[in-house]
Amino acid sequence: MFRHLFILMWNKKKQNFLLMTEMFVSFLVVFAVLTISVYYYGNYRKPIGLDYENVWIVDYSNPLRTDNKDSIWLFYDALQKTVKALPQVREISFTSNNVPFSSSTIMNGVNNRGKNISSINWYNIDDNYQNLLNIKLLEGRWFNKQDAVARVKPVVINATLREELFGNQPAVGKQYGDDKQSRVIGVVQDTKMKGDYTIAGKAVYNRVDTGSLGGMQKMLVRVTPDADITFEGRLYKTVSTVMKTANVEIQHLTDRRKYMNNMSLMPMIILSIVAGFLIINVALGLFGVLWYNINKRRGEIGLRRAVGATGSSVSMQLVAEALILSTFSIIVGVFFAVQFPLLNVFDLPAGVYVMAIVLSVLFIYLLVLICAFYPGRQAAAVYPAVALHED
Amino acid sequence: MLVNYFKIAIAVLKRRKFFTFISIFVISFTITILMVLAAFVDKVVSENYPDRNRSRLLYITTFEESGPGSMNSGALSFYYLERYVKSLKRPAKIFISSRHENTNTYVNNKKITVSYKYTDATYWEVLDHDFVEGKPFTAQQLANGERVAVISEDLKKEYFGNMPSVVGQYIEADDVRYRVSGVIRTVPSTNYLFSGDLFLPYTLSKIDLRSNKDYRGNFMGVLEAASSADVPAMKAEYEQMAARLPMSNKMYTNIYTHADNYLNAYLRTGNEKKSGMQIAFMTISIFVLLIMLLPAMNLVNINVTRIMERSSEIGVRKAFGASSKVLAGQFIIENLILTLLSGVISIVLSLIALQVINNAPLLNNLHLSLNFNVLLVTLLACLVFGLLSGVYPAWRMSRMHVVDALKAS
Repeated sequence: MFRHLFILMWNKKKQNFLLMTEMFVSFLVVFAVLTISVYYYGNYRKPIGLDYENVWIVDYSNPLRTDNKDSIWLFYDALQKTVKALPQVREISFTSNNVPFSSSTIMNGVNNRGKNISSINWYNIDDNYQNLLNIKLLEGRWFNKQDAVARVKPVVINATLREELFGNQPAVGKQYGDDKQSRVIGVVQDTKMKGDYTIAGKAVYNRVDTGSLGGMQKMLVRVTPDADITFEGRLYKTVSTVMKTANVEIQHLTDRRKYMNNMSLMPMIILSIVAGFLIINVALGLFGVLWYNINKRRGEIGLRRAVGATGSSVSMQLVAEALILSTFSIIVGVFFAVQFPLLNVFDLPAGVYVMAIVLSVLFIYLLVLICAFYPGRQAAAVYPAVALHED
Repeated sequence: MLVNYFKIAIAVLKRRKFFTFISIFVISFTITILMVLAAFVDKVVSENYPDRNRSRLLYITTFEESGPGSMNSGALSFYYLERYVKSLKRPAKIFISSRHENTNTYVNNKKITVSYKYTDATYWEVLDHDFVEGKPFTAQQLANGERVAVISEDLKKEYFGNMPSVVGQYIEADDVRYRVSGVIRTVPSTNYLFSGDLFLPYTLSKIDLRSNKDYRGNFMGVLEAASSADVPAMKAEYEQMAARLPMSNKMYTNIYTHADNYLNAYLRTGNEKKSGMQIAFMTISIFVLLIMLLPAMNLVNINVTRIMERSSEIGVRKAFGASSKVLAGQFIIENLILTLLSGVISIVLSLIALQVINNAPLLNNLHLSLNFNVLLVTLLACLVFGLLSGVYPAWRMSRMHVVDALKAS
């Protein structure tokens, strides 16, 4: 039966070739949209890894300019004490610019046993950071005062970096780095620092020493839930009084998270709207063409009915024709789509592509099935006598 | 003859309403997307408030030093602009301003995020701001370090509410009280080089601007030529000056800094190897191609199908001596009529779409509108689309044999 269908289709190869190209391009569009959706959804399902409610970012550019390490330490110590003395402040932590949900990224690479590991997020933070953001410790401990005198530089890494460095083995106490050794004292859970729809990536946390506090321009403040705008104004005044030369800005982590999520979703939404209408276009077009073709083939259908074919077998034939056509386009489409994981074009995990390919194949089949179903039904309703009489 | 084609086209459109609907829907939606895109690009490229005299301006926004394995790029330092750029002979006027940064102010139990910018007095001479009230600060006020500020209309509304006049009032930001000297119509955020809410004399900066002796800092400079004919010479003078600069560090071998025209400055990425112009051009072309490809193919499919319907007409015309060329031409013109008709519908659709986008809280002060340029792009898109989807079916049709065509009916 398939052989017969092929002959029928071959006879109209020009028209069918056009249809196939159209299905092929639709497949690629659907594949693109689904790849991004699958990727975002996969990221979204993972836990965010930190507690962002009631945390504010205080940004103070241009802090004091001095190279004297003692006076820097004294200054920040005083600042910390003043801010912590405010009633609604629970915890305060100095950090490098790459605070959660900021657009700032600091990345570094490391050579370990001859292997280069790149794109590691680099955080300079103090002893309060983990407690303030409530990041879960998987093993070991967070930094404390004793780390200031450690002989080998102590670091805390996240789960993703642990896997990259040591496989699934426990990492605490182990050292890594060919040029400069670092000793892992703790491993924390992954945190999605750029919002819900992004990956956590690899991360290493370094305890900030007194010397580099002068270059820091941000601190995180955890406040009590009843901290309101009046208190925020007071905090603002306090900070700008202590830091005379600084420009101060306060932001809320909840707002930043919303902003970063919107930044991720916006291109996705625009793409989906455009792709959605393209697909409606294609669906209408396919439907129209199939319907028209069936009307043209009334003679053939009438003849089949006259010699005993049932209505359902006639409509089956037409639907099968459409599905075979789409199978050809899908094969070509999948051939192009698998190049993405094979050549590792966008640095996404292969599973995302595979999932997206499977979903796109189902989507195209479904689309073609829906478009072919009604014309097929119409064909089944053809009366042989009427059809043959017309000819 | 064209009138005849038009009549035939309308008659054909009326014949199978469903197909006509599909065609018009496909075309008008595609053109709507293109129109919205064109409106956005047009807004970015030709929004010339406050730099209305763009043809006479050159913008200096980035300074990049690079060497093997290292690269450092950013905005310029005040020191660099004052020492090297201000010493140029060609420019009639030069102004220096900082990039905008954010701070907060708290008023009436409300938090306002203020984006502020330090400028000099020439800023107000070169740029043509619309003052709602008051006037800019003067060079004298700048030199005296008076605490005066020019604010945007948006900030006025947020901070003072519905007060009719605020000149002479005090506004507190970043823990300092400034006297308002003028209010300007808000610069849209798409013009990011000049947008801001609070404009302060640079002498009020909390740190000593001249203490940073690096090339890079937080400032930009704009050169104004006496006439647009003078611009190339001004550009050349800047490049010559930049070529003579010593490297700030031994690890660098090249300095890249340019006095750009507006579009180049707007799209400069800060990395000499990545041309923003190229990236923008590539992105837009690929997007447009993708947007047009699928609907065009769809339309080709529908058109090819519809030709069969008209085989009797083609057969008769051919039998009476019409050449293939004439028939193909007729079909292409019919297709163009259809696309132009859809183009008119898409104008209505895009007016609705733009209304939705303008009211959505995407970007502050973003008001997209249709103008002559956008309509021109639309017309062009209609023509391209009409040809793209009409040529192949027309060719197929014109090759039909008379006998086949007549027999088919």
